[in-house]
Formats: sequence, structure tokens, C-alpha cells
Amino acid sequence: MPSKSKGAPKAKEQANTGSNPSSANPSNINPKTINERSAYRYEVGNPLASKKSEVGGVQGLSPTERATWTNLTYVRKAQDQKRLPLPNKANKDLWKSINESGVPLRGLDELEGLKFPGNKIYDWGRDRAGRDIGEYTPEQFKKRRGKRLRVTQLEVLGRQFQALRRKVGGLATLEDEEIDKERIRREELAKLRMELYGEKTGTYAQDPEWDDIEPVAQVEGEGALASIAYSDDYAEAMSYLRAVMAKKEHSPRCLRLTENIILMNPAHYTVWLYRFSIISSLNISIKNEIEWLNKVSLAHLKNYQIWHHRQLLLDHFYPLFDPVDGQPATADNSEEVKEFALSEMGFLKKMLDEDAKNYHVWSYRQYLVRKLGLWNLSEEIGYVETLILEDVRNNSAWSHRFFIVFSNPAHASSNPEIPATKFDPKVPADVTEREVGYAKRKIEEAPQNQSPWNYLKGVLARGGKKVEEMEEFCLQFVNKLGEAEEEVTSSHALDMLAEAWAEKGEKEKADLALRRLAEKWDRIREGKEKGGHAALIAPAHSYSSATSRSFHPPRPQKNLHSFGARREGRNRSKTDGYPPRAGDESASKARKPGAEHEGAQGE
Amino acid sequence: MAAGRGGFGIGGPDSELIDEEFVHDTSSPHVAAMVPDLFTHPAPIVDPLRTTTSQAQKETVNECLPFLADCHQPHNDHGVSQLSRPRHAAFVRKWLDQRMSRHFVAVDASRPWFLYWCIESLDLLGEDVSQYGDRLVQTASWMQNPTGGFGGGFGQTSHLATSYAVILALAIVGGGALYDVIDRRAMWKWLSSLKQPNGSFAMATGGEVDVRGAYCAAVIISLLNLPLELAPEHCNPPGFNLYTGLANYVQRCQTYEGGISGKPDAEAHGAYAFCALGCLSILDSPDRIIPKYLDIPRLVSWTSSRQYAPEGGFSGRTNKLVDGCYSHWIGGCWPLVEACLSPGGETDSTTSLYSREGLTRYILNCCQDTTKRGGLRDKPSRLSDAYHTCYVLAGLSSAQHAFSYSEREGLEPWGVSSHTAAEQVFGEVDRVGTLHPVYVIPQSKVVAIKQYFASKSGF
Repeated sequence: MPSKSKGAPKAKEQANTGSNPSSANPSNINPKTINERSAYRYEVGNPLASKKSEVGGVQGLSPTERATWTNLTYVRKAQDQKRLPLPNKANKDLWKSINESGVPLRGLDELEGLKFPGNKIYDWGRDRAGRDIGEYTPEQFKKRRGKRLRVTQLEVLGRQFQALRRKVGGLATLEDEEIDKERIRREELAKLRMELYGEKTGTYAQDPEWDDIEPVAQVEGEGALASIAYSDDYAEAMSYLRAVMAKKEHSPRCLRLTENIILMNPAHYTVWLYRFSIISSLNISIKNEIEWLNKVSLAHLKNYQIWHHRQLLLDHFYPLFDPVDGQPATADNSEEVKEFALSEMGFLKKMLDEDAKNYHVWSYRQYLVRKLGLWNLSEEIGYVETLILEDVRNNSAWSHRFFIVFSNPAHASSNPEIPATKFDPKVPADVTEREVGYAKRKIEEAPQNQSPWNYLKGVLARGGKKVEEMEEFCLQFVNKLGEAEEEVTSSHALDMLAEAWAEKGEKEKADLALRRLAEKWDRIREGKEKGGHAALIAPAHSYSSATSRSFHPPRPQKNLHSFGARREGRNRSKTDGYPPRAGDESASKARKPGAEHEGAQGE
Repeated sequence: MAAGRGGFGIGGPDSELIDEEFVHDTSSPHVAAMVPDLFTHPAPIVDPLRTTTSQAQKETVNECLPFLADCHQPHNDHGVSQLSRPRHAAFVRKWLDQRMSRHFVAVDASRPWFLYWCIESLDLLGEDVSQYGDRLVQTASWMQNPTGGFGGGFGQTSHLATSYAVILALAIVGGGALYDVIDRRAMWKWLSSLKQPNGSFAMATGGEVDVRGAYCAAVIISLLNLPLELAPEHCNPPGFNLYTGLANYVQRCQTYEGGISGKPDAEAHGAYAFCALGCLSILDSPDRIIPKYLDIPRLVSWTSSRQYAPEGGFSGRTNKLVDGCYSHWIGGCWPLVEACLSPGGETDSTTSLYSREGLTRYILNCCQDTTKRGGLRDKPSRLSDAYHTCYVLAGLSSAQHAFSYSEREGLEPWGVSSHTAAEQVFGEVDRVGTLHPVYVIPQSKVVAIKQYFASKSGF
């Protein structure tokens, strides 16, 4: 049995005693909730319903009650059809009987058993928080109803706005005031919908400016792999992005849309590429864009789309720098370029202060140097030196130094470009000397630091100098090699010595150096030092010979193969598991011309 | 989970039991003796001068030493931890199957990578990946653009990296239904539009040009058997095709250090080195093409210098820290370098140019998250993720296997077999699946997709 609400017994009593139903005004019983009020109204309207179900149907009612129930049901059904198809006499009797019974003519429909969970008369639904609206107090309910009316009102006004807009031929011709009013209305509408139904209205759906765009939602279906539960804001912005990209629209509103998405997901290459296409077609000023970009960059240090965007910007705007005497503008000949370069450097410094080895920042810097011709800009060279001064192990700074020095058109052959590990006859001897000296000084600060050693090797190869010239320098880090009191303060020095001695043909010493590296000073590279190093060590310096300007790296030579800890491997056949090296006879067919004489240096 | 594992006869370890079994051993003094002192002590030469770099390096060594000496985990007689297969597999499946929360919006443009990383990881772990076929077809289809190529998701611009990742993921699962997702004609037209006068490829229309583009494009062109001629609307000088100048571009990326940079003028970097060598090895036999375009001794010297002791793992650049992902980017260079040093024949299976033992120790002792989370990672202080799980496992596969290259008419030239050196520090149960050294998916899957498209010389 349904539990009765407080008001119910009273109502039944009233109905049974035949008192005037108008005295059962719901306001008199102060229902606490809407469900209570419904239950009360139901009882009042259907005084016999409870009794009927208690006694097991119409048959259980007394004859009078049964007559009342039948009459009432008849009248109510007939009411729906707006007529009582009865002869006058019957009509009169019917009304007489109803008046005497004192039951209300109007009431909630009688239910065949209770249909809703919780014994409710009516299901009011739930609000956005999942609360049963039937549990609202009448006061709360009234408020809610007010909001719903307001929604309808705002929707009507919105339709009027759309009609007006169509009439005047678009948003552009509408008064700003009208648009602002609509914008405010939509804000209110979105707020109400959220409050009433928990429905989120997206920022773009609310904005009259985007009314003409039909958003394209992402519909991958349930089974999609590696899917993401996007926030509503992101999903909405993306669906507008898809729509405007498909239209190839390049407009200020699209620019704002890209900004919004980039702030939510800066790793979104699609949005960046689209943003650039908008900027280039709208001709937005580079200054504004760069200012904005700087902020985004500092907030997202690891992001790399930013740097490609920056490069695209510069490529696009560079032609606006006035050429000087028919030559492209560079930092050397144009104050304008120099000024721009310095402002870029200032920003790049901020980025490198955060991470001095940020690969994409350095790549952009290299691009910038080439693009704007910053080879001789003292600030650029000075900055790299400062970074090396701060951390002599910063290989990115070393790498940049090599680039500025040896790719400088004043010091480098450009046509054809010579690979970085190869001799370039255009490098002035004093530049090579200067760089060798610089590397040596830096090595002395921390001899086990590989960066300046690699730099030194690079300079020697580029400048066409022999590694053996470094023998004396390296020996200061290697003492009494092979003896009991052996002392090595740099494995890189020992490595270079092996190369130097091999170059001089001092095989025994080279062998010893490699063996000691493998045994003690650089054991992790034992495999290379024992098995492969011999075959690999020599050709690097072969470019010291100015006559050898082949761009094909020479093959490792057979005769070089004979030194190294694994010399016994030399005569092994392929079948015993020791493979032929590149320099073996079997490989000689692949040998390139120009490589023949180089091996001799190893002897 | 163990039931889903194919190819591995031995059941998955019950990690809880093993934890108990070994918990006493770890404190016993003989434990350290199992691990060579190369991996238990700081390097023999350390400069006193302190800088940001040396400080970070010192911290990393200190962070790794306890893991290498194996104070934390169950281990074998060599002091090497076991591979927590079930946990890693569960970790990876979660990325594939579960919806990521909205906080992962930053990977919205990288979802194709998750497909590849996760499916490849599962495959390496011996898990069955065929069950993902239908969902992969569905997911990939939405990522494809009618103008050719795959983007990061529905409505995203086509990109070479995401196209590469989608195609590899489709290839790993394999089969006509998956291959047929790819619109080859549109792909060819799109690739033609990305070809640059300098020989390389832009990653997307208006996108960056770098060595990744060279590698991804070569992978796509060769796997799908695309015509090399450029699509008519992108007609270039006569004779200029999709491969023209590609090797020269790679050559221009070799730096004075011997490694390879992302683009000319930049710093040598491990990930780009792999792309460069992979690209060249697609264009021609490695023993012919790599020496033709790159300075081998400098390349070997730089690549070799990427391995550090005592950590055993690889770094990506000079004076940077070890990171598990370079187990693949650098570790994956070695089969290609070794093949180029062994003209037309088998590479040596007994000697290696790098320390397989060191890499194996770093991977199994430092890169595994052995907690319930699972997955593999950069280094012990970092959280595991799908990217590292894939590339650390790929590196492990490379360290565990020997590669050979021999050209035979119409046959796949690369061969892979177990590397059976005298000292094998990992348990046989921990041997992961094999990979093609260039395409980084299983050998058989490369053969299958190539065969499928070989029959389609037109479109």
C-alpha cells in the first residue's frame, strides 16, 4: 500500500461525509514538497481511489459509492469529449447524484495502481543535480517554473533576432546594440539551461558571431582506440575549427579561435599551421604576433610547434626588410635587421635561461643566423662564449659555435657544400688556429668533458690539420701509459692519442692506447675499441690531405685492420664468426676511387 | 594476461611471489659481486669542475646505481631484474582501451603515435594484437583525409609522423582489411606535394622540413609500394622523383661530431640519427649507401659515445643524460651501422660495437616500473609512458638479437636471430619479440604488407 500523505486522510474524510470540497484548499494543508501536494490533490480529486484499491476493486464498494464512482468516471471521460450525450432526464439525475456525493468534478486522473517508483502520483523528473523535482518545496518549484518561462521568453526573442538578421542581410549590418543585447540574452539563456537541465551551452554556440557556422563534431564511435574524453570547451572549439578549416575561412574570428585552441592544447600542429595561413592572408603585423608568441613560448617551454611558426613568420615577413644596394638585408648592412635580430636574441636568451640545451630553440637560432646573416654579430658570438663560460659542458653551445664559425660564408665553401666532417679549403688558417686554441683551453678546464674534444676533432678535420699535431697536447692528460703508475685524466685524450699514433704509423702505441681504454679507462666502449675501432679510426684524418677532396668517405683499409686488440681476427675466415670488415679484400670492389692512398698513413 | 601471450612457452612470473623470494637476497653481500664493477661504481675519471651539466650527470648516476646494484628488485644470477611482462602489457592496454581523461588533451594530435607505441609494445611483449583489428580500422579511418595522409585525428591536417604511425600500426596487426584503409593514390599525391627541392619532405603542407620527414616518407613509399614519379600536378625538373636528393639531404645533416642533426646546421641528436640511417637503408643496401653519404668513423665514434657507464644506457646528445628511449634511437642505429661495415654479408654475432650487456642492465634494472603501474620509462625518477614503453622494449629487442643483411632476389634482405653471446645477462624468458631494424615492426609484418602492395603496381 502506498503510504498516505498527511493531507490524504482528511480529504477522504471530507469526501465521505459529503462536506464541501472547496474547503480542501491545498494551501490550507501546507504541503512540504511537490510530491506531497500532488498526493493531496490526487486524494481530493479521487476520494474513492484509495478505498477501491483497499477493497480490491469497484465490486468491493458500497452501492452508493459505486454509483458515485461510476458517475464521476463517466462525467470526467465525457468532459474530455466536451459533451454529455445524455437525454435531459438522465443528465439531470447524473448531476444531482454528483452534487450530492460532494466529490470534485476536476481532479488528477485516477491511476490503475501507482506507476512511478517511490509511490509517487506523478514523476516530475530530476534536476541537473539528480534531485527529484517532486521533492522541491512549492517555493523552489515556483522559482524553477519562473526560470523555465524565462527560457521560453528568451528563445522567442532569439528567434526574433535571427529573423531581423536575415531581413537586414547579416550580422555586419545589424546595430551593435542589437548584437550585444542578443549576446547578453544568450548568456542568460546558457546560464538558465545549465541551472535547469545541466546542459552546457558552448561559448561559440552562444556567440551570435558564430551563428552561421555549423560545427563539425568528432564522431568516432565507442570503439575508438586511445581516445580522449575532451572537455566541452575543447570539443566545441575543435568542431568549429573543423568547420572553418573546411571552408578555408581566414578571418579575425578564426584567428581568435586558433588562439583559444592553442591555449588549451599548444601541441596541436593543425591549429598552428592554420593560424599561420590566416596571418599570412590577413597580413597581421609580425610584431603583434611575435609578442603573443613569446608569451605562449614562455608558458610552454617544451613545445616545438611554436618554433616552426616563428620560422614561418620570419620567412613570410623577411622580404619586407628593404634590400640594401640590391643585396638581401642582413645584420651587417641593415639597422632594421640588426634591431630585429637583437630583439629575437633577447627573447631566445630568456628561453635558454630556462633550458640551455633546448633543441628547438637552438635550431631556430641557427635558422635565424642564416636568414639574417648574423655571422659577424658580436652579440651572437659573445652569447655563445658566455654560455660556454657558464657551463663548459653545454654541447648545444659548442655545436652552435661550430656552426657560426665554420658555416660563415666568409670561411666556408658553399658550392658544393662540403660535409661537416670534411676538409674545407676555404677555412682560413688563422680561424682554425684560433678555434684549436679555444678548444684546448676549454679542455684544460675539465679534460674529461667530451664537448671540446669533439669540437677539436671537428676543427682539425675542417681545417685540414693532422690529429698527430695534438699528440703533445694530449700527452699532458696521459702519464706512463701501460706502466704500473699509469695515470689518465681524460679518456678522450687517450682516444685521440690512439688516432694520432695510428696516423703516424706507431701501431704498437696506438694498440696500447686502445687496449688501455678497453681494459680500464673506457670499458663500456670495449666492443668498439677491440672489435671495430681499428677499422674505424683512421679515415677521419685522411681529409687532412688537401688533394683528397672526395666527398665519399674512404673505406677503412685492410692494413689498418691489423692493429688493435683484435688483430688476431684479421686472418679469420668468415665462417668462424668473425666477419670481414669493410676494408677486407672481399669488400674492395665497393671501395671508392681516391681512397687507396689513405690507408698508407696507417702503416 | 599470461594466457594472451603467444610464442612464449613459459608462464608469466607471479611478481608478488618473486618479490618475497628475493627480498632476502638483496641485502646479502654477494649480490654486488654478480654485477661487474663497471656498473656499480662511478666512471673512473670525473672532473672536479662542477657545472649544471656535471651536476645533473652526477645525480643521474646516483639515481641509477642502486638499481644497477639491484638493491630494489628481484633479479637473476647476473643481478639483472626480470621483465614484468604482465604489468607492462596491462599498462599499455590501458592507454589503448581506456578513454584518457580531458587532462591528456595535449596528446590529441599524437593519438596515432599511441596506436603504434601500444600495439608495437604488446607485440614485443608477445601479446595477441589481432583483437584490435576492427577498432584500429575504425580509428584510423577517421584520421585519414580525402586529400591523402593521416592526421592526428578527425579533421586534423595530414602529417608525415602521424601517417607513419598509423601505417605501422595497421601493418603490425596486418591483413587486407587493415591495409585497405589506406588510400594509396591520395597518399602518393599528398607525398608528391610535400617533396622539397632540397630532397627532403615537409612534415605537412606548410610544415617543418627535417630528417624525420626523410625517414617517414621513405618508410611509407617503400611499404606501400608507391610509384616514385611525382604526381603530375607537382611536376618538377625531369628525372626528379620522390627519392631524388633524399640521401644528399641526409648527408647535409651529419655534423662535425659525426652524429646526425634534425636539419642542417643543428646539433647531432640520437632520434635523428636513427631516422637518417633508416632512410638511407631504405634507399639502398646499407653497406653501399651509408658510406657513400656519411663519414662512418665519425658516425661510429659519436654513436658509441652515446653509451655511458656506469648507467649502461644511451644518451641522445653529447653531455646529455641517459634516457631509456635512446635504447631504440641509438640502439637501433647499431644494426644499420654494423650492416654497413659488413659488405653484403652477415654481421658479426659475437662482437658488438656497443655493450649489449650495459644496455640490457639499464633497461631491465632502471627503466622498468615494477610497481602496479607498470610500463617503461626514461630513468628511475621519471614516470613510465607509452612512448618510453615502446622504445625501451624496441631497444631491448635490438640488444637481444643479431641482425644480418644479404641481398637475395625478391626476398627480404634483413635477417634477425637471437644474439647468443657467451654472456647473456637476461633470462631467456625475458627475450622479447623481434623487429625489422628499419621499419621497427616485426620482420614478417614488413614482408606481408610489402607483398600485399607489390601486387598493386597501379592503384
